[in-house]
Amino acid sequence: MIAGRSSAVFAVAFAAAYAVLYVVAIQYNLALFTYHPASEEFHFLVKPAADQPPMYWYGWMATSALGALAFAVAVAALPAPWTARIWSGWSWAVPLAAMLVFGYILRGYFIR
Amino acid sequence: MIVVLLIAHALFAVTLLGAITHQTIGVWTPAKRPAASFVDRMRSVSPAGYAGAIIVLYIATAALGAIIYPNYRLNVRIVLEQMQLPKANGSFELKEHFVALGLGMLPAYWYFWRQPATDYGRTRAVLTALLAFIVWWGFIVGHVLNNIRGFEA
Repeated sequence: MIAGRSSAVFAVAFAAAYAVLYVVAIQYNLALFTYHPASEEFHFLVKPAADQPPMYWYGWMATSALGALAFAVAVAALPAPWTARIWSGWSWAVPLAAMLVFGYILRGYFIR
Repeated sequence: MIVVLLIAHALFAVTLLGAITHQTIGVWTPAKRPAASFVDRMRSVSPAGYAGAIIVLYIATAALGAIIYPNYRLNVRIVLEQMQLPKANGSFELKEHFVALGLGMLPAYWYFWRQPATDYGRTRAVLTALLAFIVWWGFIVGHVLNNIRGFEA
């Protein structure tokens, strides 16, 4: 039962943290690595190229996944009474909010 | 090779679309009487039985999309910009972010679908609906962009 409770806390914390970190990673371009598709090269962290478009999407996901994993493991390790009242709905409410944020960030594509 | 991957990506997406649509209908409007019509039979599926397959299909579809994404970045997006189609470009930008957010929801989706039917019903239903929206958005945007640009063998 304790393991089950920890799994629930981990799942909710990971979903919420990943969504927040993904938005932050994009807003501040915190990609763990950069891919240059024309030359098919990976580079650690953010590395723009003068002669080709860089791709940060993979790096943003890696940053978010690693950060969310660390956060969720830490939260799941907290004493059960501290996490007993965590709302399971954070697992969908935060990603939903992140989706709305992206709609706002990218509104320029649709209202020109 | 890229054409083969693109077709595989589309086939996985179609399968995922069918599975998550059935699950969403089953969890939001479960049938209360024996299924008599096509719609009733869709409503009367056992939603829990789809969860594992949906996770595998979601990851596989996203992985194939990630593999062909550089080709899109180099050969399609630039053309869309030259054709001055910002809505098409913006729709794809939303698609990539929505799919990434969906990946982050999968552990929670997996966990809550493994719980007894009486627990976390609302959380399970909303997570499923959000993933269904992401899958439908991704499918329609991918289909429309493919119609705009097509692919070169």
